[in-house]
Amino acid sequence: MDQFLQALVSGLLLGGFYAVMALGLSVIWGVMGVINLAHGEFLMIGAYMAWGLFRFFGLDPFASLLLILPLMFLVGYLLQIILINRIVERPYLMALLVTFGVSIALANTFKILFTSDPRNVPVVYNGSMQLVGITFPIVKTIIFFVALLSMICLQIFLQRSRLGKSIRATAQNKNAARIVGVDINRVYAITAGLCIALTAAAGAMISPTQAIFPFMGPPFTLKAFTITALGGLGRIPGALLGGIILGITEILVSTYVQGIGTNLGIVTSFALLVLILVLRPQGLLGGLRPLDAEAE
Amino acid sequence: MSAPLLSVYDLYAGYQDFDILKGIDLEVHPGEIVCVIGPNGAGKSTVFKAIYGFVKVRQGAVRFDGQEITNARPRDVLNAGISIVPQLRSVFPQMTVMENLEMGMYLEKNQTRVRRRIQYILDLFPRLGERRAQMAGTMSGGEQRMLEIGRALMLEPKMVMMDEPSAGLAPLIIRTIFENIQRLNREIGLTVLMIEQNARQGLEASHRGYVLELGRNAYEGPARALLDNRDVRRAFLGGQ
Ligand SMILES: Nc1ncnc2c1ncn2[C@@H]1O[C@H](COP(=O)(O)OP(=O)(O)OP(=O)(O)O)[C@@H](O)[C@H]1O
Ligand SMILES: [Mg+2]
Repeated sequence: MDQFLQALVSGLLLGGFYAVMALGLSVIWGVMGVINLAHGEFLMIGAYMAWGLFRFFGLDPFASLLLILPLMFLVGYLLQIILINRIVERPYLMALLVTFGVSIALANTFKILFTSDPRNVPVVYNGSMQLVGITFPIVKTIIFFVALLSMICLQIFLQRSRLGKSIRATAQNKNAARIVGVDINRVYAITAGLCIALTAAAGAMISPTQAIFPFMGPPFTLKAFTITALGGLGRIPGALLGGIILGITEILVSTYVQGIGTNLGIVTSFALLVLILVLRPQGLLGGLRPLDAEAE
Repeated sequence: MSAPLLSVYDLYAGYQDFDILKGIDLEVHPGEIVCVIGPNGAGKSTVFKAIYGFVKVRQGAVRFDGQEITNARPRDVLNAGISIVPQLRSVFPQMTVMENLEMGMYLEKNQTRVRRRIQYILDLFPRLGERRAQMAGTMSGGEQRMLEIGRALMLEPKMVMMDEPSAGLAPLIIRTIFENIQRLNREIGLTVLMIEQNARQGLEASHRGYVLELGRNAYEGPARALLDNRDVRRAFLGGQ
């Protein structure tokens, strides 16, 4: 029973992280219909930035978010204007090819720059505390709350602000957004900026808990994909639900299945993805269909 | 006669390298309801898209309220005083009626004015008022049309362009839509340029009409005269 409770708590903590980790993919997909296969690479970049700032300037990875967020917003914004805006209106395959190309280019550039040696960010508070018989790893608990906070902020931004509303409007019907005067390309660029910044932030946050290397991205892309299939496109509560389902499943499997080894995350995620796509191809909550589809 | 509010002169536009419009002329005077009819594929929607900056104008000019708006961006056209209700459904399905109206005034930053204007539109269409908190995507086709029209009125446009406002609606609802268009025209002096597939009803609700065919002007005149014209009747109004 204790073991089960512990697994649930660990899964929940992991799930909170998975939710922010996946949001970038899900929002870009929902707003512009582009599946960003380079998603995990932006997480990798965030992790490397946190490592660099920690290693050379002694900056704490959570403090480094203040630098990483604006910088990666700019990167996402420019990438969208320079590259992605040209392919948004084209068939799906084009976007897949281009973002796949971006992912390969990024991973290999980082390999050349930093070699494939794993890097670590050994923060001093990397321990854990006990609470009512359950172990809470400190870093993972902080990640969970930062993740929750950023999702709440993002949700309020999307629901309440004028800019947030224009993003939702574009996701729901881009032609209609255009006729009320929304500058679609600007909305796309801001969306990309936000999503890339959030993804890189997720990478920075987990830097104390896992090895950082150039090819760490793809498993995260796959998991983000699974979470999106679970929770729907561009929906924050959906991403939270999907993240928690994946997190808890993963921890339960690793707790009760013996000898599943280090690839368990990918195996669980992949099994879950196949299961959803077979049973409910429209996504668990019916949200895998782009909202804009009905308008076209 | 007064100076035209909208004048489209010798308009050429199309998709890829191909001209769909081959010299369209069109005028709308303040306070008029003008109806454009013509067979499928004649280029009616393309005229609207060209005016609105969705399709590039290759030759000719568009002037509105004394301003040259040829190839202007959608937001500049909006600012000049034209709003549009497009042919395809265009509500934001996962936003409430209120939020949809709010989006109609996206270009206005003063929230007090936005709220005042929303109240005005809700009073104008009590039906929308009753459903202010409903998600637009769950409303009936007719209600969604009313919402699109209400949203188009948010910025107090001088003219609204409607692309087939009656499309896909039940006969009774179609009548309500046309009655509302005429009411807005009477009560707030709204100028309307509309495309109609229900040519007869569209013309009956209008002051003047244009018949387009193969990207060119075929006939034009007072709506009454078009309804009585034998050639127009035979070709475009279903015989008799
Ligand atoms: N996006 C597009 N790309 C290429 N061709 C197009 C596009 N949109 C319209 N066309 C073509 O332009 C021509 C005119 O289309 P348009 O939509 O203006 O016709 P319409 O008069 O509005 O017809 P309908 O009554 O069916 O709405 C058609 O032959 C159509 O196939
Ligand atoms: Mg049309």
